[in-house]
Amino acid sequence: MKLLVDFGNGNTQDPAIASAILETGIAASIERAMMEEDGGWVLLSVEDGEEERFSAALAKRGVASRIQTNSVVYNADECVDCGLCTSLCMKHVFSFDKDWNLVVDADRCVLCGRCAEFCPQRALTVQK
Amino acid sequence: MYETIDEINERIRDGSVRVATAEEMPGIVDELGTAGALKEVDVVTTGTFGAMCSSGVFLNFGHAEIPIRMEKMYLNDVEAHAGLAAVDCYLGATAESETLHADYGGAHVIEDFIAGKTVELRATGKGTDCYPRRAITNEFTLDELNQAVMVNPRNSYQCYDAATNMGNRMVRTYMGCLLPGHRNVTYSGAGCLSPLTNDPHFDVIGSGTPIFLGGANGIVIGEGTQSSPGTGFSTLMTCGNLKDMSPDFIRAATMTGYGVTMYVGVGVPIPLLNEEIVRHTAVRDEDLVTEIVDYGTPVRNRPVIRKVTYAELKSGSVEINGEEVRTAPLSSYKKAREVAGELKKRIEGGGFLMAKATHPIDNTKCNKPMAEKGETVHVSDVMVKSFVTVTGDQTVKEAAKLLLKGDTNHLPVIDKENRLSGIVTTYDISKAFANDVQEATVSEIMVQKVYTTTPDVPIDVAASMLQQNNIGALVVIDANRHVLGLLHSYDLGERVVRREQR
Repeated sequence: MKLLVDFGNGNTQDPAIASAILETGIAASIERAMMEEDGGWVLLSVEDGEEERFSAALAKRGVASRIQTNSVVYNADECVDCGLCTSLCMKHVFSFDKDWNLVVDADRCVLCGRCAEFCPQRALTVQK
Repeated sequence: MYETIDEINERIRDGSVRVATAEEMPGIVDELGTAGALKEVDVVTTGTFGAMCSSGVFLNFGHAEIPIRMEKMYLNDVEAHAGLAAVDCYLGATAESETLHADYGGAHVIEDFIAGKTVELRATGKGTDCYPRRAITNEFTLDELNQAVMVNPRNSYQCYDAATNMGNRMVRTYMGCLLPGHRNVTYSGAGCLSPLTNDPHFDVIGSGTPIFLGGANGIVIGEGTQSSPGTGFSTLMTCGNLKDMSPDFIRAATMTGYGVTMYVGVGVPIPLLNEEIVRHTAVRDEDLVTEIVDYGTPVRNRPVIRKVTYAELKSGSVEINGEEVRTAPLSSYKKAREVAGELKKRIEGGGFLMAKATHPIDNTKCNKPMAEKGETVHVSDVMVKSFVTVTGDQTVKEAAKLLLKGDTNHLPVIDKENRLSGIVTTYDISKAFANDVQEATVSEIMVQKVYTTTPDVPIDVAASMLQQNNIGALVVIDANRHVLGLLHSYDLGERVVRREQR
């Protein structure tokens, strides 16, 4: 499960993610991060079922986080099932079923937005 | 045993016709043999649904009370070609809006017409005695047009190169986004279901062949432009009534970084008249070979990376240089099946008859590339052929001296075989001096990623490479990476100044 950690205005001085990992013993991997001097965000992947506990550990340190799900909004009316997106997404969000229908596993998304930018039918949007 | 078109049409009329899709044919022929399949199947339907840039519509608007000879025309801000008498135009699918650019184009106007939407026409003319009016703005729906006929100068490619990108920069092409370092492969066409792969020698398809086009019953006009059956790359020129088309089979699209295009569904029925024709319709994806080419090199004869079958492409991944690379279609196989299925239904329903081609298509013709007769300036015309090089084992200090002596900012680094292995610039040397490492070797400080070009590249292409990468010079090399010269951005500047003074 993906957890989007929001560092708000950048006031956090503590190593919140590292501390949360040590406290909970939950292995978290960084999928994407955008950190600047005045804040930013980190998209973490944590084991399914552990996201609430990890989120609580972050909250204790004053860092907000929420479960990131359904990141890819898929407009089936616009899509023609060409499947160009299947080769552009390194996280394997998109695939075909046996009848060549496009299948979207939005929870794998790391919010890069490349699929939306290059979809010929403009059938995809990525939302944080 | 032979069948005739008349016999098949008789069965279509009385409802006893037997139709199979091209996808079903390999199995049928395996089971029954070609003679058996000829006995059991009358017509094979094919289908493809992909980006077909070479598309457009002829539109007729009728005459206004005070008439105008429309010479410049815009439909929803997209320019249409109006050099066709007074009230007709040809709107090309890839023409882009003056205001929305690549987000809206001719294909979108066509899609809006089919969807029943109102389209704005703006036109101007010079005003003549017979056509006094000089400007008009009006609104039209598809129903209000006298004629709206789609004509596709070229579609249904028999075969098309698959694309990858061996370069180190993402390229945005009509084959979609190609990631640097061959991280993806894109391909087009429906493989064994494509119309022309099922009749590669034009035994059946010719001028007048009835087809399915964008949901309408259309016809083949003849060979498509660029058609090259002699090399396995034939195309068709097709037409159909826009008023009978459906948004299910015509879709406007934008290939980001390339521009507007249109997805078109085309299906051609193949009446099975003899065993030879049956054999061709039994083609499998395993038999259809194309090439993966490098779209990172923007030349006509792009480097071929490897041969590949449609079966491999459709499997989702192929191997390039020992790495597994994901493949993705641009065309929709699901929609191609829908086209072949819909065509099958129409024939079985009695509403779609076969016809003998009125004019055969030459199946030996080969496409010719453009022979450039105009004056094109190439890199070789502008590059500087006197240059200084350095080897990797020389010291930074020696390199600095060479730079000063050569009065240049760029020193190509060459290996023992005289091949380009890197570059050092005055910037790299200054940095080394500032860090007190002038005794280091050139190979320690050189930049290995060198922007290169070749002598035969047109100068405007090299200029945009300089600009895109924000660099001062390109190293001109031959196929063996031997340095031939340098192309400096200031050489280009001088050339422009000289031309303006002429």
